[in-house]
Amino acid sequence: MRSDRQIKRVNSHTLIGRDFGKTTMFKVCFYLAMMLLMTLLMQACSDSGVTSTPVEELSEESARHREGLLRVAVQPIVQTDPAFISSDPEVLIANHVYDYLVDVSAENTIVPRLATAWEISEDGLIYEFTLAEDVRFHDGSPFSSDDVVWTFNRLRDEALGSATVDLYSNIVEIKGTEPNLVTFVLAEPNPFFLYDLSDNHALVIKSGTEEFGTVFNGTGPFKVEAYSPEDRLEMVANEDYFLQDQPNLAGLEFIFFNDQTAQVEALRSGQVDLVMAISTDQFISLDGEPGLILLQVPTNGFDLVRLRSDRAPGDDPRVMQALKQATDREAIFDLVLQGYGEIGRDSPIGPLYSQYYTEETPLPELDVNAARDLLTAAGYPDGLELTLHTPDTGNRPDLAVVLKEQWSEAGVEVDVVVEPESVYYGENGWLEVDLGITGWGSRPYPQFYLDVMLTCDAKWNESHFCDQEFDQLVAITGTTMDETERIEAYNEIQRILIERGPVLIPYFFAQLGAISDEYKGFQMKAFPGRSDLRPVTYTGE
Amino acid sequence: MNGSALEPSQISQSAAPVRGRRFRFILRQLYKTPTAAFGTTVFLLFLLLALIGPFIAPYSANEQVPSEARQPPSAVHLFGTDNLGRDVFSRVLLGAREILILAGLGTLSAILAGTLIGLISAYQGGWLDEVVMRFFDGLLALPALLFALLLLGILGPSVWSVLVVIFIVYTPIVARVVRSVVLSVKYKAYVESARLRGESLGWILFKEILPSVQPVLAVEAALRFSYAIFLVASLGFLGVGVQPPSPNWGLMVQEARETFSQVPWALYFPAAAISLLVIGVNLMADGLKKAMQESAGE
Repeated sequence: MRSDRQIKRVNSHTLIGRDFGKTTMFKVCFYLAMMLLMTLLMQACSDSGVTSTPVEELSEESARHREGLLRVAVQPIVQTDPAFISSDPEVLIANHVYDYLVDVSAENTIVPRLATAWEISEDGLIYEFTLAEDVRFHDGSPFSSDDVVWTFNRLRDEALGSATVDLYSNIVEIKGTEPNLVTFVLAEPNPFFLYDLSDNHALVIKSGTEEFGTVFNGTGPFKVEAYSPEDRLEMVANEDYFLQDQPNLAGLEFIFFNDQTAQVEALRSGQVDLVMAISTDQFISLDGEPGLILLQVPTNGFDLVRLRSDRAPGDDPRVMQALKQATDREAIFDLVLQGYGEIGRDSPIGPLYSQYYTEETPLPELDVNAARDLLTAAGYPDGLELTLHTPDTGNRPDLAVVLKEQWSEAGVEVDVVVEPESVYYGENGWLEVDLGITGWGSRPYPQFYLDVMLTCDAKWNESHFCDQEFDQLVAITGTTMDETERIEAYNEIQRILIERGPVLIPYFFAQLGAISDEYKGFQMKAFPGRSDLRPVTYTGE
Repeated sequence: MNGSALEPSQISQSAAPVRGRRFRFILRQLYKTPTAAFGTTVFLLFLLLALIGPFIAPYSANEQVPSEARQPPSAVHLFGTDNLGRDVFSRVLLGAREILILAGLGTLSAILAGTLIGLISAYQGGWLDEVVMRFFDGLLALPALLFALLLLGILGPSVWSVLVVIFIVYTPIVARVVRSVVLSVKYKAYVESARLRGESLGWILFKEILPSVQPVLAVEAALRFSYAIFLVASLGFLGVGVQPPSPNWGLMVQEARETFSQVPWALYFPAAAISLLVIGVNLMADGLKKAMQESAGE
């Protein structure tokens, strides 16, 4: 199985080769008829630019320096318009069809992509980007600053209704001064503006594009060859990619799996080469599997245990402090994450942001008696009864059950209510409940969490936290161009959250994945959808 | 089949000793066929475990020992431990009581209400019967599990909601079964004579008609009970019934599914317990049906 990996697709119709009787004959005819029907239907549905030339033929001419087909198992995608993509595979696919202006590296730094260089004005309000030369879209048309202007104007157009409208509300004007020069003018300084420009949705699109469902006209390293929704999406290397030495692979194939277990089994049996979202349990089961390289990347994704602080019992900060002192983080880390990831310090600024992360302020110690005393002081001498709401996804139900057991030692009786995500987040129930566990994904910089989760008027302030000193600090970190000042403010923010924040962050996840050892040069990122498959090379035979 | 051949007047005259004799007779009948004997033994065994479980369980259901997490079955942990370091044997043992009580109480309430409604509706007939039965038809048109999910969506997940769900899902079924028996005996001579004697409605329903319904009811109760066990487990598995960390078998299977490749035993044992109990009760119900027929023919 592994040896014929190069450029062959898994043939799922092997039944034709069998020795068959009458009934089988009938079945085969039936299958063939169905397949024919399906093919006709698909043809009819996709009167688009996407032609389905088999990958085999194209690889012949490119075999000189580009070889190997990487088959990636992913969840099925729904969105193909870059302005609306959100899931890992949606971003991963778009990331290889289109290009970002600037990209975020695996080390979380800003690196050039379509923009090769940039200059920032003294006051931090004007950004000028120099664009790469000789870039062409897949349809052959040249790329210029007009496309960048068009793309970002589209993303900040309220009529479009993308999540980026808020993100780019600070932009006053975008100008294409030369075919290879673009200028962004901001209303206020934003030290994270380059990261914002590298937002998942900010892939540069051909000016005037209207069709995204069937036409994939990017400048990216791979061209879409065939897309069968809910089955697979095939890509071949873009021979005219503006970077001469990339991509190294001849093709990519994204095979859609609804079930995570099936993805891992397909990897185990050699039907796919890369899986980027593996549960801890399955990851451990892959340990020692021959022919696989296990991937583990720290992220800033976390589960947030938060208590509403604007009404009883959470309005007395001692209650949350009591819960923190009743929590055994080490045990949670071992039981729930099995040691993959990092122990959290109750602030969304995790160790991944090495320059901003600090362990200066000590965490409340595990002390059940102290927790009881705090509860007594807060007016709950007989303990507390709380309902803990949690979505049924990921490790959250496990976390809830462990917390229930740990907190009961301190006299806090918890009723766990596990809800489907649609119920937990539906009708904004998660912003209403007193005690809840919410999952937050990894972001390239920490300001996002503070802005949307913890300031007084934050959009998703689920803990209803409102602290003047904290808000002032967040205003500083979000605007100052002075790195030292920002680091100091972030340190203070972490201190405040540990001392009086109504949030408990027990851990940060690790992203777990695995790739066949016939591929080299792959680096998984904290947000796996942004992983770069351009430098990956095939070394098998 | 429906036991209408019984002489109800005999039963009503000396009910207690006859009932005692019949119980022993039925038990004897149950142990005559190997399948029914197996089913009955399994059920009685689980019943025993539910009764003495808390006294013999080596650990509490929710005690988490982080250092002992994910241990395979051994002398210390008979069924191993789950991903959170809880003893699977103790959880399965303690789960028996929960599932039997939930399914038992739910079935009992459905049987009581269903019998009452079925008796009155069938005996009175007319528009009352029409309205009640059409309403029940409406309820029965929905698949049981779908209906249960709908109800739990409205009630919110809790132990009480599960009871209410079993009650609402099974009452119409029981009522229909009871009604069919009542319709077949309603015009029998002994009922007519009671009516002519001027007996009260209660007397006629419970002293004259109910005894003929009893055998069918016993079989129906056993069947409903086995379905109720499965429903409680299914709802637990779907995560809409009893909430964690309760040792509900269905819930345990659901939780263990996530960690199956590391701790398969945390899935095997509760799953086996569900299957064994449901199969046991089903076989017993089958045997009971046969025994009732024999008893009626005696």
